[in-house]
Amino acid sequence: MSESTGLINPNSAWTGGKSPFNVSYGKLMMWVFLLSDAFTFSSLLVAYGGNRFLSSGSPIPWPKPDEVFNHFPFIHAHLPLVFVSLMTFILIFSSVTMVLAVEAGHRRSRKEVSLYMFLTILGGIAFLGCQAWEWTQFITGTEHGKDWGSGLIHGASLFKNEYGPAAFADLFFIVTGFHGFHVLSGVVLNIVIYSNVNSGVYDRRGHYEMVEKVGLYWHFVDLVWVFVFTFFYLV
Amino acid sequence: MEHTEHHSHDEHNTLTKRKIWQTFFILLVITILDFVVYFAMNKEHLIPVRNVIFLAFGIIKSYFIVGIFMHMSYEVKRLAMTIIIPMVFVLGLIAALLYEGGTQSVIKWAIGG
Repeated sequence: MSESTGLINPNSAWTGGKSPFNVSYGKLMMWVFLLSDAFTFSSLLVAYGGNRFLSSGSPIPWPKPDEVFNHFPFIHAHLPLVFVSLMTFILIFSSVTMVLAVEAGHRRSRKEVSLYMFLTILGGIAFLGCQAWEWTQFITGTEHGKDWGSGLIHGASLFKNEYGPAAFADLFFIVTGFHGFHVLSGVVLNIVIYSNVNSGVYDRRGHYEMVEKVGLYWHFVDLVWVFVFTFFYLV
Repeated sequence: MEHTEHHSHDEHNTLTKRKIWQTFFILLVITILDFVVYFAMNKEHLIPVRNVIFLAFGIIKSYFIVGIFMHMSYEVKRLAMTIIIPMVFVLGLIAALLYEGGTQSVIKWAIGG
């Protein structure tokens, strides 16, 4: 025992009494959770890439994104990528309002935190609305449809679709669905924190760290969207 | 000021409104560039180059989101390493499974297994 204690500098971060990571337990655990969530999303996106490579040479080719996602609400024109870029913009902007809420929380300005949390919730709901529209388009499909050799197909289901291999639609539903579920959970968490802010819970507690924790989650959802956007709509 | 008791003082100096809007502007410009590059390089032989550009943009965007918005560049280095290094191993998984997908496609479609 005496030899081993000799190796430890009493001023080191690891001797107890302080956080070696200089953050609270809750924030560190949020980071660990997000890391595990990143693994889940990575495996889903890796499955997308693997299936796409597997389909090269197949009689049913993997679709090009601008042939599938080229609709915009109320406008009947061929507009590839425009709608999904708008969705990306909405999510990035809601990330900005979230980080502004965190910044206002550092100054303990309840009014500002409340305003920015509200805007973040609106952004999240707007994004979910866009995604619902996108899914409706994807499931309904085009008027002319497509025949891969076993009858005319309109739109997409889990078993067949007019765009390409069945795995394409399956992965679209799973990955954007799982991401959308994260956005939905984020919106619910944000509403909880928003009502706590307004009832003065964090003023009584003396700090707004809960805003930072849901902020981390919310930015992570934005980060995942960056890669979903890249792999589904760009590559 | 009373609030300095609850958070270390340097944290207040790092994340400013100016910095937040600056980061937003960078993310916005990269997203617009994504859009522009997609149509500017929409030729069959340019697509592999374009995909590399999209990946590079994705990594730059994630640097700004994690570093500034999620405050990671202001945290202690060992926290940043704890979170980032495991993600590096995922890159190996991606490479392995894409290669595997390509090999399987040859077996399935070209050889006819």
